[in-house]
Amino acid sequence: MSADASDLSLVRRVQRGDKGAFDALVLKYQHKLVKLVMRYVRNPAEAEDIAQEAFIKAYRALPQFRGDSAFYTWLYRIAINTAKNAVVSRDRSPVEYDLDRNNNDESYDMQGRMKDSETPEGLVLTDEIRSTVNAAIDALPEDLRTAIVLRELEGLSYEEIAAAMDCPVGTVRSRIFRAREAIDRRLREVFEGGLGRAEELG
Amino acid sequence: MNEELDSQLSAMFDDELPPAECELLARRLSRDEPLKARWGRYAIMGAVIRAERGVRLNAPLAGRVNAVLLAEPALAAQAAPRDRSATRLRWWQPLAGSAVAAGVAAVSILWLRSHTPDAPLAARVISPAAVGSAPAAAPQGEIYTVPVPKPPPALVPSTELANYVVAHSMFSPPVARRNLLSAFMTSEPAAAGTEEPQADVKVIAQ
Repeated sequence: MSADASDLSLVRRVQRGDKGAFDALVLKYQHKLVKLVMRYVRNPAEAEDIAQEAFIKAYRALPQFRGDSAFYTWLYRIAINTAKNAVVSRDRSPVEYDLDRNNNDESYDMQGRMKDSETPEGLVLTDEIRSTVNAAIDALPEDLRTAIVLRELEGLSYEEIAAAMDCPVGTVRSRIFRAREAIDRRLREVFEGGLGRAEELG
Repeated sequence: MNEELDSQLSAMFDDELPPAECELLARRLSRDEPLKARWGRYAIMGAVIRAERGVRLNAPLAGRVNAVLLAEPALAAQAAPRDRSATRLRWWQPLAGSAVAAGVAAVSILWLRSHTPDAPLAARVISPAAVGSAPAAAPQGEIYTVPVPKPPPALVPSTELANYVVAHSMFSPPVARRNLLSAFMTSEPAAAGTEEPQADVKVIAQ
């Protein structure tokens, strides 16, 4: 399977004038990009602003993108430069990102939230989404859970997952799809929970 | 929602869909809002599994980017002026094609002229065999010879034909058979003319 084929097919559509295809790219990479930018600015709202700027710069520069590198590599480079420029222009030093920090450190969450300009309702919704997805993953059969975790957490390809789970690649594809379907059924309930919060998905 | 379509969407999200299918699905994805929303939820699942803390999962980032881009011209429209400049540079392409064609034609003409019989240099064929077989009255020095056409190869050797005629002699009158055999003998080309076939025929004919 050719890597980056899906991104490239969307990129080509954008280059031909289809803005909707760029929307799909933003949806796919927005969280990763914000996470990346948060290595330079810890405030999530500020990181989102920089990520937004990076996406817009990427859109304007897309006619020059020839596909020599993967789209996300190219996008990440734009985001890093945008973040560095933002930090310099605001006369701030980049925040040192502590790679050894335990992700489960609750104090970090609290500190991050103290700086966060997000509304309480937004915080509640983020927590609700997180707990819903985690509960859905816990409820998955073992083979589905292993497949989706190896894919999303370890970033393994279907072929690598097939080798790890000793099953055909087609089975891996089916397991990952079924896992996503099971999680999505619960997630839709959160977004379509009667508060019109689905609009906030982006 | 079509399950096969969703399965393809999941594989495309992971970059595990064949490029041809990606093209088709990308087209649909860019227009189909429910499909795009599902695509967005796949991204949220990944963010949760990777425990991307500090990232707002309900952030309206895509909506904000979309709102900004609404005011932007489509990229195809931006690329149009560059295409026009490119077409301005393409005026020489038909001329280059014509020049190549003319060059090929000139080379062909020169080659043909060098191979025609009346060409003075190329027609001077001086071979030892030709000199040896030239009549005594021929002038000394340059000898202009016409290539001797080679006789067409016999489809069936005359010996075999003669054998065939003799073997079927009972079905033909003697006069006709003799005439046919003598015709074979006289029609034998000089280049291949050895006496052995005639001897063979005589032996068999007897």
